[in-house]
Amino acid sequence: MKTTYAILILCCLLFVIACGTAKRGTPHYASVATTKEAVAKGEVVYNIYCQKCHPGGATGVGPALNNKPLPGTAIRFQVRHGMGMMPAFKEDVISDEEMDNLIAYMKVLRKAKDKTK
Amino acid sequence: MLVKRLLPFMLLLVLSSCYRILSSEGGGQIEKSPNARAINAADIALPEGYTIEAVATGLTFPTSVAFDAEGRLYVIEAGYSYGEVFLEPKLLRVEAGGNLTTIATGEKNGPWTGITYHNGNFYVAEGGELKGGKILRISPKGEINALVEDLPTKGDHHTNGPAIGPDGNVYFALGTATNSAVVGPDNYNYGWLKRHPDFHDIPCQDVTLTGQNYTSEIPLASKSGKQTTGPYSPYGTPASAGQVIQGALPCSGAVFKITPEGGNMELVAWGFRNPFGLAFSPTGKLYVSDNSFDVRGSRPAWGTGDYLWEIQQGLWYGWPDFTGGKPLHNKSYAPPGEKTPQRLLANHPNTPPKPAAVLGVHSSSNGLDFSTNNNFGYAGEAFIAQFGDMAPQVGKVLDPVGFKVMRVNVQNGVIKEFAANKGKENGPASKLKSGGLERPIAVKFSPDGTSLYVVDFGIMRMTKENSFPQQNSGVIWKISKK
Repeated sequence: MKTTYAILILCCLLFVIACGTAKRGTPHYASVATTKEAVAKGEVVYNIYCQKCHPGGATGVGPALNNKPLPGTAIRFQVRHGMGMMPAFKEDVISDEEMDNLIAYMKVLRKAKDKTK
Repeated sequence: MLVKRLLPFMLLLVLSSCYRILSSEGGGQIEKSPNARAINAADIALPEGYTIEAVATGLTFPTSVAFDAEGRLYVIEAGYSYGEVFLEPKLLRVEAGGNLTTIATGEKNGPWTGITYHNGNFYVAEGGELKGGKILRISPKGEINALVEDLPTKGDHHTNGPAIGPDGNVYFALGTATNSAVVGPDNYNYGWLKRHPDFHDIPCQDVTLTGQNYTSEIPLASKSGKQTTGPYSPYGTPASAGQVIQGALPCSGAVFKITPEGGNMELVAWGFRNPFGLAFSPTGKLYVSDNSFDVRGSRPAWGTGDYLWEIQQGLWYGWPDFTGGKPLHNKSYAPPGEKTPQRLLANHPNTPPKPAAVLGVHSSSNGLDFSTNNNFGYAGEAFIAQFGDMAPQVGKVLDPVGFKVMRVNVQNGVIKEFAANKGKENGPASKLKSGGLERPIAVKFSPDGTSLYVVDFGIMRMTKENSFPQQNSGVIWKISKK
């Protein structure tokens, strides 16, 4: 029974993490530091493929991305395979190198959100 | 036991999209409009070193500003808004202190969507919701002359622009009649299909159809009962495979240019949906903002962003079969529980280009201008006013999208926030219960490039069926470097 409840709680947590809304993106006064080359390149990839549904990392048509405590492996898996309404972005769309840069940017994007006033 | 039964559903819930579960939370989805608009510049966040102030308030549906040779500020009131509000459009001069002087009053054929000043006259785009679009030349004394008229914009989208090119010509754009080339129930709800039951989109050159048709039923007096409708055709007129629809000029979803005297109308580019904002970059390239597909009507499409295009002469940009350079006939653009949008054209004029930038889905990214002054900053970048989502009418959003001024690096497509309401939540001031931005619709730099003027249309409440724009709630904001 304890295991069942643990799974149930885990599911609820996953739901909150997946669907919880970060009301705001990364405004200018908490802008993302893109001095690292990988982060700057990742920002370009993000703006081409992700920005339209997750503007500034916040909620839009899609759920927020800047409040998900996901490791890079999980981000990579979701981008490559899609989930629900989110389409999959395979290697012929986002190359492995672009994916590495995208993940680097998204990690910085998450930190920038914490500075939001 | 109950918990065990629920577990698979919980897992499914987690693994499925949040989009299907959560309700729409659009910026205009407020219970009722406030009685009066609060205005407080301190509620707007800007980058360090900038300041903002309201220079005119109480405007009804303002859409654009211009400056005359003396640098005096003018604004146009649209005279029409979604929600079927018809008023007289106006050209107003904004005097010191914010008082308004009426220069010209137009006829009820709005919306006046844009204005520019060139060689002693104003040039205004008249939307044409009732009688068709026009490009007007208005003298400083208020004399109005139509340079072109009968433009086919009596539908969802209107005659937009204008902008003066480096060649001295007047560039303007025509929006499409429909969401995705098929007249249907959404157009009836907008209102125009009752007035113009035979109105439809027009291609700019001959197109061959795949034969895709759509069936719908609306209480239209002249065409009651179930009707089958094809693309580029009147409501109730089906298409057949291989059918050729003849192109004609002027056409829908296109950019044109004319001389300042109104002659030599020439097609510049086509295949847009609602090319709203036109501006030339400091290097002389024309950029156009384009509102993309909605989740409405007979051929809804999901998840298509708004676009900023760099315009190349003669190209087709993809509407109605592509979005942002990608084929729309792809399951990722199918609304939840609905079919993938089918291809309509058997052959495409060219492979559409990639956009210069991709903006938020339903953000309604509209008027734009380029910074040219290093003292203001961001020289060479495009500033874009985001009117904000019109959910739930155009589709669902999980939180408000837009209601900001963005800046775009047109070299790499990176978009950053420039002016937005303060706080942890995004949205228009009426939803946030603040005195900040409501629905920015245009931006314009002062002639010396040291100040950015933001035209704020005002409050517009939204429901699934209708729009409720609020008169006297428009504002012009001025952003300057401290």
